[in-house]
Amino acid sequence: MERRFIASMAAAAALPGLLVLTQSSTTAQAPRPPQAAAAPTPRLPNGHPDLSGVLMGGGGIAERNLKPGEAIVLLPEAKKLMDSRQSKDDPEANCLPTGVPRMNPYPWRMVQTPTHSSESHIFVLFEGNIHSYRQIFMDGRPHPPDPDPTWYGHSTGRWEGDTLVVDTVGYNDKFWFDFDGHPHTTQLHTVERFTRTDANTLKWEITIEDPGAYAKPFTVQTQARYEPTWELMEYICNENNTNVTHIVGPARAPGSSSQ
Amino acid sequence: MKFAIGLMIAGIAISWPGRILAHHSFDAEYDAKKPIELKGVVTKLEWTNPHVRFYVDVKDAKGVVTSWDLELMSVNTLTRAGWTRTSLKIGDEVTVNAFLAKDGSHRANARGSVTLADGRKVFAGDPPTGGIPNTR
Repeated sequence: MERRFIASMAAAAALPGLLVLTQSSTTAQAPRPPQAAAAPTPRLPNGHPDLSGVLMGGGGIAERNLKPGEAIVLLPEAKKLMDSRQSKDDPEANCLPTGVPRMNPYPWRMVQTPTHSSESHIFVLFEGNIHSYRQIFMDGRPHPPDPDPTWYGHSTGRWEGDTLVVDTVGYNDKFWFDFDGHPHTTQLHTVERFTRTDANTLKWEITIEDPGAYAKPFTVQTQARYEPTWELMEYICNENNTNVTHIVGPARAPGSSSQ
Repeated sequence: MKFAIGLMIAGIAISWPGRILAHHSFDAEYDAKKPIELKGVVTKLEWTNPHVRFYVDVKDAKGVVTSWDLELMSVNTLTRAGWTRTSLKIGDEVTVNAFLAKDGSHRANARGSVTLADGRKVFAGDPPTGGIPNTR
């Protein structure tokens, strides 16, 4: 099955693409042209990297992003669940959150809230899928002993050198990791490592540990790009979501080799 | 030569894997192997999320009119690509290259092209993903 939509579009799309490139609009937010050398990582007054800004990309558990030598190995029950999933039931298609670390093709914004004495929170604001947000506690508090399961879980952050390490537990089991329906349980524990390597780039490494669904932890390496000329826009997914009743078929493509 | 390369790059950019462009999987709703060309008149435009939709009355050889429900990308994606809510107007005559819904309804995804009577194409182009493969 053709999961990707590449070759058939290339020829037909060439001319429209040119038209887009040549039109002008005050609302257009075109990607910045590549720069020869990016500016250095900006920093907060306390010396920690400043991660604030509008970003595009990153996240997900795609196999192509797996750290070398790692594999996504489903436990039998999780595989059974994944094989049973239908695309129409994907929470994302139903305008529900995508959890962690699945992302949408929309920008997101990191917001740091340093006070005069310390960093208190980091918020991640999502334009898609439903205008939701994550909050990451930076004040050193521990996870609660028995948190109510939620879509984004309970996140605490700390600095390891210039890398922000975000530890999250307390997830519900409702969101899917991808269109294919990779599942997880409430035992999910994620460790994310965010490193702004220069003004333009945020490296985002995610370790997924879920003994209820996967035989062993695995780590994916992704990166997002800062888009300093962009702003977040309103995106109300439920306004006109007429798609779900027309979506057919299993989440996982027949013949897919993904685990 | 530079012009030709530019065309190629534009084409490749637009042909980005379909599953990343929407809040649902393209393949789950539309059939990339069932392209259709529709000619008709725009009766409605919904400048909404998660998808911009427009409706076209298409008359067949016997004069029977069918209303087609056509899907575009989101308001946000189209806006960032430079399009506006007035780029297509009610009453416009259009030729649409689209891909049929799998469920047999009169729905299609208009990502192929939307061409106005004077030859201008609207809503064409690649969403500005910044060149980063979004991870769906």
